[in-house]
Amino acid sequence: MTVLLEARDLARVYQILRGLFVEPTMLRAVDGVSLTVEAGETLGIVGESGCGKSTLGRMLLGIDPADEGAVRFDGDAMPGLGSKDWRQSRRKMQLVYQDPLAALDRRLPIAEQIGEPLDIHGLADGADRAARIWSLMDAVGLDAEQADRYPHQLSGGQRQRVVIARALASEPKLIVCDEPVSALDVSIQAQVVNLLRDLQQDTGIAMVFISHDLKVVRNIADRVAVMYLGRIVEEASSDDVFRDPRHPYTQALVSSVPEPGKPLAHRTILQGEPPNPGNRPSGCAFHPRCPLVREICRTTAPSLTSIAHGRQVACHVAGACLHAA
Amino acid sequence: MSTLGPSFIELSNLRVGFDGIEVLHDITLTIAKGEAVGFVGESGCGKSVTWLAALGLLPGKAQVTGSVRLDGEELRGASHRLLERVRGGRIAIIFQDPSSSLNPVLRVGRQITEAVRLHRSLTVHDAKAEAVRLMDMVGIPDARRRFDLYPHEFSGGQCQRLMIAMALAGQPDYLIADEPTTALDATIQAQILDLLNELRAETGMATIFISHDLGAVAQVCDRVCVMYAGRIVEEGRTADLFDHPRHPYTRGLFDAIPRLNAPRRRLLPIPGMVPSAKDMPSGCAFSPRCPNAVAACLEAPPQLGGLTAGRRLACYQPMPSLSGLGLTETAKLPRYATP
Amino acid sequence: MVRFMLGRLLRAFITIIAVVTFAFVVLRMSGDPSQVMLGPDAPQDAVDAFRHRWGLDQPLWVQYFAYVRSILTGDFGVSMRDHASALGLVLQRVPATLQLTLPAMALKLFLGIPAGVYAALNRDSTTDRAVILLSVLGFTIPSFVMGLLLVLIFSVMLGVLPSGGQDTWVHGILPTLTLAIGGIGILARFSRSAMIEVLTQHYVRTASAKGMSWRNVVWRHALPNAALPIVTLVGFMVGSLIAGAVVVESIFSWPGIGRLLIVSVSNRDLAVVQCILLVIAATMVVSNLLVDLAYGWLDPRLAARRH
Repeated sequence: MTVLLEARDLARVYQILRGLFVEPTMLRAVDGVSLTVEAGETLGIVGESGCGKSTLGRMLLGIDPADEGAVRFDGDAMPGLGSKDWRQSRRKMQLVYQDPLAALDRRLPIAEQIGEPLDIHGLADGADRAARIWSLMDAVGLDAEQADRYPHQLSGGQRQRVVIARALASEPKLIVCDEPVSALDVSIQAQVVNLLRDLQQDTGIAMVFISHDLKVVRNIADRVAVMYLGRIVEEASSDDVFRDPRHPYTQALVSSVPEPGKPLAHRTILQGEPPNPGNRPSGCAFHPRCPLVREICRTTAPSLTSIAHGRQVACHVAGACLHAA
Repeated sequence: MSTLGPSFIELSNLRVGFDGIEVLHDITLTIAKGEAVGFVGESGCGKSVTWLAALGLLPGKAQVTGSVRLDGEELRGASHRLLERVRGGRIAIIFQDPSSSLNPVLRVGRQITEAVRLHRSLTVHDAKAEAVRLMDMVGIPDARRRFDLYPHEFSGGQCQRLMIAMALAGQPDYLIADEPTTALDATIQAQILDLLNELRAETGMATIFISHDLGAVAQVCDRVCVMYAGRIVEEGRTADLFDHPRHPYTRGLFDAIPRLNAPRRRLLPIPGMVPSAKDMPSGCAFSPRCPNAVAACLEAPPQLGGLTAGRRLACYQPMPSLSGLGLTETAKLPRYATP
Repeated sequence: MVRFMLGRLLRAFITIIAVVTFAFVVLRMSGDPSQVMLGPDAPQDAVDAFRHRWGLDQPLWVQYFAYVRSILTGDFGVSMRDHASALGLVLQRVPATLQLTLPAMALKLFLGIPAGVYAALNRDSTTDRAVILLSVLGFTIPSFVMGLLLVLIFSVMLGVLPSGGQDTWVHGILPTLTLAIGGIGILARFSRSAMIEVLTQHYVRTASAKGMSWRNVVWRHALPNAALPIVTLVGFMVGSLIAGAVVVESIFSWPGIGRLLIVSVSNRDLAVVQCILLVIAATMVVSNLLVDLAYGWLDPRLAARRH
């Protein structure tokens, strides 16, 4: 496998102004994230609201600039935001996000919108362009007769298909999907997940799939990174993460997914509030909610370390247990 | 209905229309005191509308017909005075988005105290003490000090706890929880479900749990009603229904959900989409998406009929009864309801 | 909170400086007072003496700094016409203007807001439609047309109310009504939409769901929220208590600030015009400060953002 995208120590820092004469607070929405995406693979990124997963997704595409660290795509450094090279690079990477209605222009028929990337990058015109649009619509399961419809005339699931078709138009090597199915009903969600899965198989595209829904991520991702307050706390294959989570946060997250027939009493219920990125706890950010907390967790942040082939965990305790074992 | 306990909610032939288009068709069901009943289905299936209609909380332009009885007393079209006594006093309700369900310009303590005083004749002082006790009970840390804070000073999960405290204020017999965890993060969802279960065990309050999340419903409810396009299509004890879904829609819903512990595979979606209320098929609303549909399904909607004890189904062509266990079908299945 | 208020005061100060400067420059560019005061046929030496007497022969920036220095010491200059203190002239006219604008303000508040709220609560009823229609008429008809219309009806046709002058309180009725009608319309329309917006909010449903009577839901839960946007508009109206009657005072020959302004502008009586503009700017700024204070008190979310 070849590495398609490589991110090193990415950080995104926001200043929170507290008034004219007060020192602004620094909020590290993404805080030292390193990861790789191989060609044709799906990397899942999970975490709760405010963990920085959406910001990270935009940074991987170079839409949000990195304040620290760097992204390399297909062997080259990410060009500066808005530069000519950057605009050209858009062809190879696309974003699909949660609200398809907001992503679409409500005054344009959907076929026109699907064709837009072809025009922007000068990829096809005339009969060739029409044929490409038709084949894209077919690939995402839209009928040819829907070509002249406007976004508001379609259902939520169909709109998301339009957005996906448009993202695929320039034949990118990578798409980042940010909560692409969260707004959809279960029966439609499954249709769109299958669509993404099939497209990946057919085109060999690489995918970063960002979601708070562990069940969907489990199903679609080859590898999963779990984020907490801007950092990756665990990374492993999808099978390993969900069958045998090592970080206490991942354990709680996996356990919090209600499974029919599994009584609530047997689940790990994490106490305390979801984290606030503006007020990051010292040491390991998870320590105030952690059932396994030790003294060292309060003072020293654990780093992401490899514990087995393809498995990484950032935890003093989980790491130690494994070394002892 | 005489076999039921002393307190029950009875909906019969409840229908709701907006601008002449019926969105809720003929809902009939009974909920006894202390029960926990789930209502599941996708958006627009009528699960929330049913209960907003029952409490008279729909906007004025909604046309509601049929009957809603609490302990035999009719609530539909009842006097304001009766409805105001029932709301919060007998039947309380909490909503999906807790942060916007609390009044942003009033202190949370005042909002809870207000609910206490509406239904219990306590002095201001005692009502405040009771409000603090309730905040404490639902797990708001340091309740006394945070009594005078405003809703925006609490997280989403805490706002839902405050909503629950407010619902408990009138010591109701029934709590309607309308998607109470949908807007919350996974770990906070688990906390709220846990709290709802605990409170039910402590107070004996019946729970009506509305959710699109089958997993959450299974953890809270004894009994589940599955709704599709404004009708109840299947009803049964939770374990029974989850083990042996009989309606093709119920079965389809279960199959469509990815599992954490199953092998990674293509999902099994339900083809097509929910018909709009303006454009309902003449027969069974699910027939265009149903793998079992036959000619009869296109003629008239199937009625919700009794199956076995505690089990109801509205389908001409149900799934074989043992499919959930993966056992072979032992007998030719009869049709359960008449067209 | 203190820092917030200091910030606001600083902003208010800058606003006033800007108004003063703007008025100063525009007035001086728009015509020479000596021409107006002495007449077009005045001999050149009289004109020179006049210009020297009032410092008009100095460069503009010298005049400006002299002016600013005198304002800061509380000296607002004297009228070129009769040498009376400009501030005195202006203050003398304030009561007359307030005699119109205060009752008009009261009418706006006590008719406009209740009409809007009532319409919102009875949406799509006949009353609601009537309120919408009347309020649109109220704020689309310009005050000079409205004033003449009222004069036509009540003075000319019915002959029940006087069309001008300031002799008794009866003389104030038509100008007050003319001033009030537009504001009533705007406030009614605005209160209606603010209230409709609030009534769709989830917390209103929550209040109903806990068994509160509709009346109390409206009073205790909906109105305090609907008040937020209304306060902004009312604050703006309060700000125009001094300046808002220029046209109406002219129509009804009411000897208020507005009349003084028009007369002084046509006479190029610089000190008086500048003083009026300063007073107007000051009332606007003060009412803005009051709105900010009211907002902080009404909306706890804002207070939190400030800390």
